[in-house]
Amino acid sequence: MKRYTRLIALVGVLALAAAACGEEGAPPAADQGEEAQRGGTLLAGLESDVDAAFDPQKEYYSVTWGFYHCCLLRVLVTTPTTTAENGGDELQPDLATDLPEVSEDGLTYTFTIKDGVTFAPPYQDQEITAQSFINAMEREATPAVGAGYPFYYSVIEGFDEFGEGEADSISGMTAVDDKTLEITLTRPAGDFPFRMMMPAAAPIPDGAADGHNKDYGRFLISSGPYMFEGADQASAPPAEPFPGYEPGRSIVLVRNPSWDPDTDPLREAYLDRIEAQIGLTADDGALRVDSGDLHLMLDSVPPAQQIQQYQGDPERRDQLFSFGGDGTYYVSMNIAEPPFDDVQVRRAVNFALDRAGLLQIRGGPLFGDVADHAITDPLTGFLQEDYDPYPSPDGSGDIEAAQAEMAQSAYDTDGDGVCDDPVCENVVSVTDEADPYPDQSALISQNLEPLGLTLDVTTQERTTMYDSCNDPGAHVALCLGAGWFKDYSDATTFGEPLFGSAAIGPDSCCNYALVGAPPEVLEEHGYDVTEVPSVDADFQACDEMELGDERVQCWADFDRKVTEEVVPWVPISFFRDVFIIGDAVRGFDYDQFSGQPDLASTWLAGGGSA
Amino acid sequence: MGRYLIRRSLFLVLVLLIVSFLTFLIFYKLPPGDPARIAAGRRTSPDIIQQARENLGLDKPWYVQYGRFAKGLVPWPGFFLNEQVYFSYNNFVPVKEQIFDRLPVTAVMAVGASVVWVLIGLPIGIMSAIKPRSVRDRAGMLFALFGVSAPVFWLGYVMLYIFWFQLDWFPGSTLPIDESLWESVLRGRFVLPWITLSLTFAAFYARMTRSNLIETMSEDYIRTARAKGLSERRVIFKHGLRAALTPVVTMFGLDLGILLGGAVITEQVFNLPGIGHYVIDALTTNDFPAVMGVTVFAALFIIVANLLVDVAYAFLDPRVRYT
Repeated sequence: MKRYTRLIALVGVLALAAAACGEEGAPPAADQGEEAQRGGTLLAGLESDVDAAFDPQKEYYSVTWGFYHCCLLRVLVTTPTTTAENGGDELQPDLATDLPEVSEDGLTYTFTIKDGVTFAPPYQDQEITAQSFINAMEREATPAVGAGYPFYYSVIEGFDEFGEGEADSISGMTAVDDKTLEITLTRPAGDFPFRMMMPAAAPIPDGAADGHNKDYGRFLISSGPYMFEGADQASAPPAEPFPGYEPGRSIVLVRNPSWDPDTDPLREAYLDRIEAQIGLTADDGALRVDSGDLHLMLDSVPPAQQIQQYQGDPERRDQLFSFGGDGTYYVSMNIAEPPFDDVQVRRAVNFALDRAGLLQIRGGPLFGDVADHAITDPLTGFLQEDYDPYPSPDGSGDIEAAQAEMAQSAYDTDGDGVCDDPVCENVVSVTDEADPYPDQSALISQNLEPLGLTLDVTTQERTTMYDSCNDPGAHVALCLGAGWFKDYSDATTFGEPLFGSAAIGPDSCCNYALVGAPPEVLEEHGYDVTEVPSVDADFQACDEMELGDERVQCWADFDRKVTEEVVPWVPISFFRDVFIIGDAVRGFDYDQFSGQPDLASTWLAGGGSA
Repeated sequence: MGRYLIRRSLFLVLVLLIVSFLTFLIFYKLPPGDPARIAAGRRTSPDIIQQARENLGLDKPWYVQYGRFAKGLVPWPGFFLNEQVYFSYNNFVPVKEQIFDRLPVTAVMAVGASVVWVLIGLPIGIMSAIKPRSVRDRAGMLFALFGVSAPVFWLGYVMLYIFWFQLDWFPGSTLPIDESLWESVLRGRFVLPWITLSLTFAAFYARMTRSNLIETMSEDYIRTARAKGLSERRVIFKHGLRAALTPVVTMFGLDLGILLGGAVITEQVFNLPGIGHYVIDALTTNDFPAVMGVTVFAALFIIVANLLVDVAYAFLDPRVRYT
């Protein structure tokens, strides 16, 4: 799960925008009929620096992934930098000539690499070959690098052995020739091509990362349409970090002279230069966009007042955008902890909660859609769009249906729809101390009272809250402030990490509900129940399927099983990203993969004055 | 004097050790979170956490961990904030590089603001003290009350809103990417931060100068000076002010030292990439080595400033002698 926490924290201040009605990301009126212009400098702002100084093996942050995807790093296969509705989830060849050939047993992937594509300066003479991708994977496996998500690549034969120093190379990666890369897996993983679109799989020139276990990001060799300013002044290997990235201060990207648009149909790259100032506050950034000093803020939620101004002004309304990202906010119920060890209670809670009210506290429809199920619609091919197993008028909760469910529970002995067992009193609950979670917790407490459930809510700093939720020994019954976002456009990232038995415990992530917890884990942590439902076999079956309709259907069925049969969550809302852009910005689009503005298709009217 | 300086230098090292050890305890050992768990990210595995622990040196006993940081406190090239230990847990950038990159911005802020507050605070204090309870005195102290009462974060935003956004008299916040620091200074980008930062200090200095000068002017030697027929101007500036300013100089040295360690709020409000901004980022991301580095660096400035002030005493006050 990429780090969206900074964005989440800021969403809370937006309750004032509750009356907002969502723009659906239509292009600004000014785009219509205008011909896209090349050139200009895009001036962007960032509240915070990127996560790991642009190191592609370490970065696990949406903003950095946005820069990589549009501008800096090409990969074997990728998705277009656009919305899911426009094909932003569909895998396309990038540096490969085509999608990979997959062997019948699903274990071998063969990629053919395009001819004549070279790296950016100072490695402009080095062509991208099969070895370039092996370099990246070897770096991902190297423990001293401290990579961000090597677990995605453990499935490659010999990946772990290389990391443990037991092998000199990754046995499952073979450069058949310069332009043919063969990758062998230890088990079928249908989403493997998606894993190869993540930044860690982007090619690295021979020798470029040597001696840079900690800081390769500052010497990052681009393969995309842009590169860090100053890269063309360096020698290979560069002696000093490129001046185009000053940690904590600025990011300056300029055109990569090696980039050939004929080999890259996925990126338009209209802009000549992209400058991002780091360290602005959301308020200051908003003032700067209003005054014309900036074209947009990349990582902050626009302040409520600014949103209201743009919504109320017909001339500026089309500069306000809201895009559906692939994230779900939810309440996690510990299915081993009474009274939530009873599925009827869990269903009752699903009926009872006022999802629309909870979304309103978050900022209203501009900031999300009411979630009726766990996995976001784009990841299940929009098959679940009308799926609503816990319907209620306007999404505001149905107490009668909730009480009917509760009446069937063992915790409601007189069948009146109200829990009469002491375990329903002072239910241990934790939530995030940042807005809007305390207010949401208050509403949830209020919603559950008619069911006889009273909550004992502790507010904690976000990391501490997740630690509490993640610790089975803490016996947290309700984790009220949870959220999850995809890593790439396949529902597998909503499978094992959230509902897998291997994802339980403080050193793992993030099965807070203890779905599929083995008996020994339950006993070790003092739970009375000895068995809980498991979905391990279900997501493993989906995982093994090749990409395609059957796989998507499998995940949709999984989503239904989780939502209706296992019921470890109350899905609250699906995340939406909100942006306000300056009036010179054209071609503005949303990169579904990274959840960031698509800077590859952005262009500036009139050459680019902000 | 030589022995005094050696003694004070040793004292400096001792204070740095105490400060660093307390920082180590507060930010590293006492918080419930495991830095390796945080560094490993939310989606992780026991192997990744263990690897992060080793990469960050967290698998060693606590005294070894502190020892590694303590070695970086020795103010000597190769030791001071050495890059093997003092690197950001977040982006792996050496802390020293970040501090030295940001120091010029903080120095411009601190020095500029200190000039402004001295130029505002001392004259107001002197004028108020010369004629206590006059209209001039009342106006001066009203200014002082406002300056002391106005919170910096509020004042900064008010300044920006009025003088940048509404009137467009001064540039807005932050330093443009393609502009050098000196160009920024010349284009007036520091004017609003200087005024914002200096106002509170100016108010304090005005009050302190006023009270010191009023007290000094009632001393016997001032009466003697007047009896000897010296002009009032000479009495005030030659005899009164010199004595009255001694505590002000002490304060000035310490305040400047503190600001050189980062004008946290002002840098934040005006988005200035100084040390204060850096430490806020470090605190919000639990970046311990950065917090430790800045804390020690700021402590060093304060201690050195204190030393310089003490030495300056000897020149300001002939009665002070060091042994």
